Amino acid sequence: MLEWLQRTAVAVSIRDSLYSFPVLESIHVVGLALVFGTIAILDLRLLGLASTDRPVSRLMADLLKWTWAAFALTALTGGLMFSTNAIVYFHNTFFRIKMLLLVLAAVNMLVFELTARKTMARWDGGPSTPPAAKVVAALSLVIWVGVIVAGRVIGFTATRTSVPAQAQPDPNFEDLLGLPEK
Amino acid sequence: MNQFALWLASTPPSVFIQEHNAWAVPAIQSVHIVGIALIMGSVLMIDLRILGLAWTDRTLQQTTNRFGPWLTGSLWVLLATGLLMVVGEPVRELVSFSFWLKMALVALGALVAVSFQRALRRHDQQWERTVAQGSSLKLLAVVTFFVWIGVIFLGRLIAYDHVWGSWSPAKRL
Repeated sequence: MLEWLQRTAVAVSIRDSLYSFPVLESIHVVGLALVFGTIAILDLRLLGLASTDRPVSRLMADLLKWTWAAFALTALTGGLMFSTNAIVYFHNTFFRIKMLLLVLAAVNMLVFELTARKTMARWDGGPSTPPAAKVVAALSLVIWVGVIVAGRVIGFTATRTSVPAQAQPDPNFEDLLGLPEK
Repeated sequence: MNQFALWLASTPPSVFIQEHNAWAVPAIQSVHIVGIALIMGSVLMIDLRILGLAWTDRTLQQTTNRFGPWLTGSLWVLLATGLLMVVGEPVRELVSFSFWLKMALVALGALVAVSFQRALRRHDQQWERTVAQGSSLKLLAVVTFFVWIGVIFLGRLIAYDHVWGSWSPAKRL
């Protein structure tokens, strides 16, 4: 399956391009910055450390659609990067740690839905939140920082498969602008 | 600049980071990413407030008071970790087109953030009814958001400076 994935036309075209991988990585960082940035605002509210003058439900309405949109962008670009070197990433320890942390983040979210969220009507407007909400929020911050660290380490431990020497790379930025080679 | 980068690479702090690069570089970069994430969250919220898409139950002043300190605080964290990265890998950073274009965009983004917070504090109530409703501030909000996205792109492109062709000074080394 992994072998098939990294032989697909999409994976090959990203591998052979000078730009695709750096651009995918950049979009991935923009996406994860928005995911973590928006989640942190909600987690700090649940911990009672910021925005305590606003109801949690209003914060969720303001934030979570952007979190999910950014997450979709991050998952898409992550999947495309994975496809370029699927076998190496799949066997990379830090890739596996990152995937495990993402599962933990989902479980953590589910725990919130099943516990504190059920009684939210009672504590929504006030500055103090139930212990379950605080634990979930603290865990969320730790897990997402872990995702960022593991993700960064993947870049240092999994090397890109080298582009075959005979493959013609894309024209660089200068060629695109039609500037003469100096 | 090449000479300076080579000199910097020979100094003890740089040598220390180079010798411990297996953990030091990813650790510094991770803190750097957390910092830019906090900036993106804060900029997104202030910009959405200007566009009337979030925090509509709070004034622009209140929203900026909530996120402004996080924005400037994160900028200092980014400056500190960024400086460590320059010290740790001087040639990779300083001899790169992406790095200098990124610095220009960071200066622009920081200037907008600081002068916006100052102007808002000065004009307060009156602004809230006039300028804050205007389309030029809305345009500024959108442009600023893309300036920070540009900063992230260029930050990542430091590792791929060859995409700039002969604009990359690394090519001439």
